[in-house]
Amino acid sequence: MKAILSSEWLKFRSVRSTYHAIGTAALMVLLGVVWTFYVSTLADQRGTLRAAAPEEGFLPLLQLSLAVLGVLTITSEYTTGMIRTSLVTVPKRGALLLAKAEIVGLFTLVTATSILLLTYTTSRLIANDRRLGFNETTLADDLPMLLATALSVTALALVGLGLGAAIRSTAGAVVSVVALLFVLPGVANYLPPPWNTRVASLFLPNLVPQIADQRLSSRLGDGFLPPWAALAVLLTYPLVTLVIGYNALKRRDA
Amino acid sequence: MVRRAGGPASRILYRVIELLHLTKRYGDTLAVDDLSFKVEPGHVTGFLGPNGAGKSTTMRLILGLDAPTSGRALVNGRRYASLTKPMREVGALLDAGAVHGGRSAYHHLLCLALTNDIGPARVAEVLELVGLSGVARKRVGGFSLGMKQRLGIASALLGDPGVLMFDEPVNGLDPDGVRWIRGLMRSLAAEGRTVLLSSHLMSEMALTAECIVIVGRGKLVAEATVAELTARYPSLEEAYLALTAESVQYGAAR
Repeated sequence: MKAILSSEWLKFRSVRSTYHAIGTAALMVLLGVVWTFYVSTLADQRGTLRAAAPEEGFLPLLQLSLAVLGVLTITSEYTTGMIRTSLVTVPKRGALLLAKAEIVGLFTLVTATSILLLTYTTSRLIANDRRLGFNETTLADDLPMLLATALSVTALALVGLGLGAAIRSTAGAVVSVVALLFVLPGVANYLPPPWNTRVASLFLPNLVPQIADQRLSSRLGDGFLPPWAALAVLLTYPLVTLVIGYNALKRRDA
Repeated sequence: MVRRAGGPASRILYRVIELLHLTKRYGDTLAVDDLSFKVEPGHVTGFLGPNGAGKSTTMRLILGLDAPTSGRALVNGRRYASLTKPMREVGALLDAGAVHGGRSAYHHLLCLALTNDIGPARVAEVLELVGLSGVARKRVGGFSLGMKQRLGIASALLGDPGVLMFDEPVNGLDPDGVRWIRGLMRSLAAEGRTVLLSSHLMSEMALTAECIVIVGRGKLVAEATVAELTARYPSLEEAYLALTAESVQYGAAR
């Protein structure tokens, strides 16, 4: 397993797409800085205001770029044919997928946590003691939300990997991730109450506030799940998609 | 048969590829139909057949990339997928294009090598052997077909295996490269290895192989030595055309 892991880690590091994805994800910090400067000048003119927190507003950038990274880890092998070369060197397909999952999981967790914390701290430093709405709580208050967000991004990247293994096409897997992240939760919002809250509570983006024990939104209210259950549902997403991906990898001819 | 000095006799005895009633069906098409033959060490075995005869499918079945519908393909007496360090027992070049174009030749080979606990020193060695040392740090995407073939041969040789399979390795090589492959195949066989080589170049095959296996429409058509075939027919090409006349599926009108 250690041998396969070191190979997968080298595969991950030795292609440009990895760095493009990290670069895109890291844009979040930059956008957060620009945003905070902008709302700070507004606040200097008008006094206090209620601006959105950059680590929430620019979250889709982080989610999508790291999900694409997870998808590409396997679909780039299918589009280039490299998967056949890989499976000749590692005929145990489960071990190959597991190694990929470990690399994607660990790397995304570290990257997402760093980028979120960096976005958070730079924006608070720039805001200084202005009252911008998002900077009126302490790091201790916000930490559960930040960590839950990082965890959800990690789960999403692993979902990307699982879907990539099942679908084998980059475009197909990315579209599925987008559907899961943005389209389906949007649809659930418009179900008749109380079903909107019950169904929406189960979707990835809404699990984060429930884990951090916060409100979902004015429309959806407090959510449906206690923190531990929300965490369990969050972990179920990558688990289920990876099992589906593993089955496809195992059963189908390469 | 030449035995390598110092090697355990049992390992040499087991350097065989063995097909037992191997059958592969894709939907309505029988790609491989009850195919049984054995490839022995010490000489190059040529694997011939018209387009679509099932040569590549047979090799994919041997490597566990595709699952047989029935029958078995064994390497050294075992299923390929059950080998723990497969690269040390079997080396294969199926499709020279099955590489990620964004990776350098060196990184590509190292990714494969690491999975089987093969170090960077051996990677440098095989790069030297196939003549790609000078472009080792260049991206594979920019390689010509001939260079990709050399890279594929390098990956097959990484584990110094006793069994080797090459699917059309001569495609895209310059005359110099064709002669190099011929010498390489013959010397690998002379070292006591088992070499299965498919090609459509009959003149080349006549110079390289000692034994010939011909398949047509997934079935075994003939299994003979080159000497036997050239004794009965004017040339290997004539022998091939006469034997496969019945099983050409995609021929031009004559």
